[in-house]
Amino acid sequence: MESSERGPVLPPGFYKPDTASPFLALFKTFTAAHDAPEWMKMLRYGALTALEQEGLPTPSLERWKYSNLPPHLKGLPKDFAAADMSVRDPDDVARHLAEVYQDTPDWLTALQGRMPPGHDRYHDMMLWHLSNAFLMDGAFVDIPAGKSVDKPLEITVSGHDGLFFNPRNVIRLGDGARLTVIEYHRGAGKYWSNGVSEIIVGKGAALYHYRLQDSASEAVHTQSTHVSIAEGGRYETLTLTSGAGFSRNQVHAELQGPGAHVTMNALNLLRGTQHGDSTFLVEHQAPECTSSQKVRSVLDNQARGVFQGKVHVHQAGQKTDGYQLCNTLILSEGAEMDTKPELEIYADDVKCSHGATTGQVDDEALFYLRSRGIPERAARALLIEGFLAEVIESVRNENVQAAALGKIREWLKSGG
Amino acid sequence: MIEIRNLHARVEGKDILKGINLSLKPGQVHAIMGPNGSGKSTLSYVLAGRDGYEITEGQVLLNGEDLLAMDPEERAAAGVFLAFQYPVEIPGVQMTTFLRTALNALRKQRGDGELDALAFLKLIKEKQRSLNISDEMLKRPVNTGFSGGEKKRAEVLQMAVLEPVFAVLDETDSGLDIDALKVVSDGVNVLRSPERSFLIITHYQRLLDYIKPDAVHVLAGGKIVKTGGPELALELEAKGYADYLGNVA
Repeated sequence: MESSERGPVLPPGFYKPDTASPFLALFKTFTAAHDAPEWMKMLRYGALTALEQEGLPTPSLERWKYSNLPPHLKGLPKDFAAADMSVRDPDDVARHLAEVYQDTPDWLTALQGRMPPGHDRYHDMMLWHLSNAFLMDGAFVDIPAGKSVDKPLEITVSGHDGLFFNPRNVIRLGDGARLTVIEYHRGAGKYWSNGVSEIIVGKGAALYHYRLQDSASEAVHTQSTHVSIAEGGRYETLTLTSGAGFSRNQVHAELQGPGAHVTMNALNLLRGTQHGDSTFLVEHQAPECTSSQKVRSVLDNQARGVFQGKVHVHQAGQKTDGYQLCNTLILSEGAEMDTKPELEIYADDVKCSHGATTGQVDDEALFYLRSRGIPERAARALLIEGFLAEVIESVRNENVQAAALGKIREWLKSGG
Repeated sequence: MIEIRNLHARVEGKDILKGINLSLKPGQVHAIMGPNGSGKSTLSYVLAGRDGYEITEGQVLLNGEDLLAMDPEERAAAGVFLAFQYPVEIPGVQMTTFLRTALNALRKQRGDGELDALAFLKLIKEKQRSLNISDEMLKRPVNTGFSGGEKKRAEVLQMAVLEPVFAVLDETDSGLDIDALKVVSDGVNVLRSPERSFLIITHYQRLLDYIKPDAVHVLAGGKIVKTGGPELALELEAKGYADYLGNVA
């Protein structure tokens, strides 16, 4: 083993502070090129310090046990850039975050500096730090109370070879407001998109947030979404992951007021050596809140899927209704799924259930379809589509349903 | 039409069919009756081409073609249809999607053009009415949450849409009350034609009150031990299978 200037030699896979250094090396050029208000400079430098101490997440951390990020970052980054983001905004609700920062409202300053939910428990917010160190631009949406936005806001993020970028979105819905956001992620080459979204859902407001992650096959895609939901508010999200060689979709939600609801759904279509991780955390902090997590994965070749879902019911979370279900179809022997649904309950009057299944395409169903004249390959495809369809039906936007279904069919067709 | 010659089959190393000989002419309806464990369901699965059955001897010809050499979907294209004793539930796949996919897959294999959504809807409307199948039922996932009667009616609907030349009905009467039995039998009778043959597998005689067979066979111990006219069914109903169980051992 080599000796290290930093101190004692650690076993492989253990805490490695220098994992972040290739990225931090860009920091000087970055800050020189992108000036910022005083508060943001402080945030960036604070994040830099944290990263120098903590490095990037490695499997030595509890919630990164199944997902080994650093090896996927080899050869990155060649350069830093702002996220290449285009927006379709028919109701004119979005602004550039960079613009807003010129005269930052207090709530936004406070939000950007606030540690994400779950931080005190897991101490693994390195990707959030990294995003803060390079904080720059993204979409900013602030919907006033009572306003219902009819047409969805569509955000497309495109990745380019060699780049490292940190798209940052801030979405705030005033009381009773309503909005649908659709994200498309695509690109070419090897790059790392490290996104963070900060979301505030007001009383009785509803945000429907759909993400179609079809990044380039060599790309690394990490996303941390932090949501706080007030009384009677609602946040529903679905991520369809078909892209990226390595991806992690981490959603943390705090149900802060009575009757708040969160839906966290994910569909994963992975093949080759793709690795897709869905890590969800729900904090039930108020009574009569409901949460639902549904993850369905189809894994082929040597693909690997991960689901870590936690429902944490605080003492105040009486009459909580929490639900977690993770179903996986394994199409070949080399594929692997790791599932870890967890409940932690401190209230005494709650209803929580969770379950996980991992299996193959049902032989009986396959024979039934073939006996009706449907060739084996098409029959398999129909069964897989049916397996995923139930989650797609929960999407409240027809275009997203159609796009997801289209992607699934394309994926099934292109299979070997 | 269909010619089963000295058919032997085994499942998991156990011989189940021990030399079945059976021949159906176009337009004929034959019934196979027999005690539990006599090989009735094995015969139906072997004809439809399910995995896990080893054919150790014999052959099955459909209009002169070697049926046993075909994949299940090829058999369907050749005109074989099995109405399942236990239709399989397929969550997430709508009945209509399933029926249309199946019909178009058959048409494609047979070299016919695919039906568009409108033409298909028209076709199915006609068939569903007589089988008392609602639009709502067709929007549900295949067999999922269907009652026993609904499942069997759905099987007959599939048969009506796919128009096979040789249909095997495996205990289609099981789990049906008398009203449902009548609906299902009517559905089958409507499909009777000089070109189409049926093999009706049943434990009880009552289905044969509604669907009149040309011949009745008794299957016991993996062999056809007796063949007769419709009166044989009545005799079995009265006397039971006791006379034939001796052959099993």
